[in-house]
Amino acid sequence: MSAGLAAPAVRRTQGRPNWRVITRRETADLWISSKGLSVLFGFSVALAALSYLAAGNAAINLLDARESVAVVVKTSIGLGTLAALVVSADAISGERERGTLEALLVTPVVRRHVVIGKLLAATTMWVASLLVALPIVLVMADGPGVVADAVAVLFVTGGLVAAALTALGLAVSSIAMSNRVSLAASVTILLVLAAPSQLPAVKASGALGALLIKANPVSAGLAMAENILVKQQAWSDQWPYLISPVVAAVALTAVAIALSGRLALGDSR
Amino acid sequence: MVPTGVSDPALEARDLTVRYGKFTAADSVSVTANSGEILGLLGPNGAGKTSVIRALTTIVPVSAGTARINGHDLSDPTAVRASIGVLPESNGYPGAQTARSYLRFYGELFGLSPREAGIRADRQLGEVGLGDNHNRISTFSRGMRQRLGLARALINDPAVLFLDEPTLGLDPAGQDELLAQLAHNAIENGTCIVLCSHLLDEVERVCDRVAIMHNARIVADGNVDEVITTSGVAASCKLRFALGDVVAAETVLRASVASLRFDETRPGGIEIELATGNGARTDILRLLLDKGIEPRSFDLQGARLSDAFRALTGTGRESTQ
Repeated sequence: MSAGLAAPAVRRTQGRPNWRVITRRETADLWISSKGLSVLFGFSVALAALSYLAAGNAAINLLDARESVAVVVKTSIGLGTLAALVVSADAISGERERGTLEALLVTPVVRRHVVIGKLLAATTMWVASLLVALPIVLVMADGPGVVADAVAVLFVTGGLVAAALTALGLAVSSIAMSNRVSLAASVTILLVLAAPSQLPAVKASGALGALLIKANPVSAGLAMAENILVKQQAWSDQWPYLISPVVAAVALTAVAIALSGRLALGDSR
Repeated sequence: MVPTGVSDPALEARDLTVRYGKFTAADSVSVTANSGEILGLLGPNGAGKTSVIRALTTIVPVSAGTARINGHDLSDPTAVRASIGVLPESNGYPGAQTARSYLRFYGELFGLSPREAGIRADRQLGEVGLGDNHNRISTFSRGMRQRLGLARALINDPAVLFLDEPTLGLDPAGQDELLAQLAHNAIENGTCIVLCSHLLDEVERVCDRVAIMHNARIVADGNVDEVITTSGVAASCKLRFALGDVVAAETVLRASVASLRFDETRPGGIEIELATGNGARTDILRLLLDKGIEPRSFDLQGARLSDAFRALTGTGRESTQ
């Protein structure tokens, strides 16, 4: 068999959906290795502890039952997003540091398929977090009778925020020259985005404050959870809070894919 | 782009230049290699070898010049990547996977179905002596990882195989085994192999041609003899004769060689400087034997690739070890 100037024995892969192969492998790596399970374990412990506190406070009337559900839902969204962000922020810079990126880049896989595959694999972290959070939310939301709203907020709002932040982590990972920088930058951005929702002064600062909350995908998502679960506002009134999470999810995914063309090893010379 | 014809070289680079900002890592590098040929790409650290390989494997953009791999221009990177196999110097491995699942993954990336990729993975693992190993890669020794890396680089039956220090960390037996496998691949499969190595003895042994880089440029290119000739390094021989033959040997040698001196520390020892080229030593031996003078020892000094390398790059012996 001659592999000389004849066409390679392996057929051309241009246009083939190689992102599926990458997603499968990355997902398997995430969950076979200890990384995915460790992050999920941390998420589970933190959520369980916070849910216990919220339920306890609700039981002794320190916290309204609806508020306790909102706390658990918002925590699930925040921590689940953080978990997915940590995974995606490691996806490319981690490979670069472990020396496995070059072998991947010299395959005929289109670069954007590499990014899409890794993005989908990182999203499984959010899905796993969701599955852990779901029973807790179901139990807690049953009392005040907000099961449907709580689950919907978790899936819709949480899904959008997680998608946006997972894409952000991947975008940062593809340009960061070290894994540590990628993780630090991604988590810092998440904390900065989440900060406004923790500041009562901003909430109370009128139209500008409300605009800032709505413009920030994380604070908008968390505010929407509060509005629906605690203030019992109608879903139809909440669409302004969905704009920034939707825009961020789409835009950051597009940015991550656009940056795929610039994937580099980082030590070129 | 479609491969053009059998007369085309498997690898052809013309005036290839790679720049990182203002730094020029490879400057107007022109190199050619045919199918079934093993090309040694040599040079001291920082000479630009890795940059040339990364440009030819579409990892870094080319600043100027052109290159074709298996008939595909670098402007069609997907086609180029489908035609090449690469074993980088600092290749990492996913420790949690088994060798088979690792190779299967790469087989699928090259367009094989999962079943075909599994069959190909088994074949490649068998060829590198890892066929019976079902452990995780994290348990593999350095040598096993190198062999796995080679199997991965060959998973697509590449037309051009780029190897950056493939024998690094291998014991002498492992080095011999790997080099024999490379030679087999070049001969049997017609694979063009580009081998970067600091081990000049192994390069001299397996490479059909060598190109030496220094300060981002190719300073010599050709087969080993041609490169030695280009370097202008003269070979020398240390001969030792029976004391009764020394005078006759001196007479024969003085008529044939440029310089001759006696080794004061070894009675019967004579050191001579040979003309460039490997034929010179056989000529000397023939002359002596024709006169009935049989040297007790014949020790060729210099005119090796390593000497040419040092002469062309101005590096010390330690840099080639």
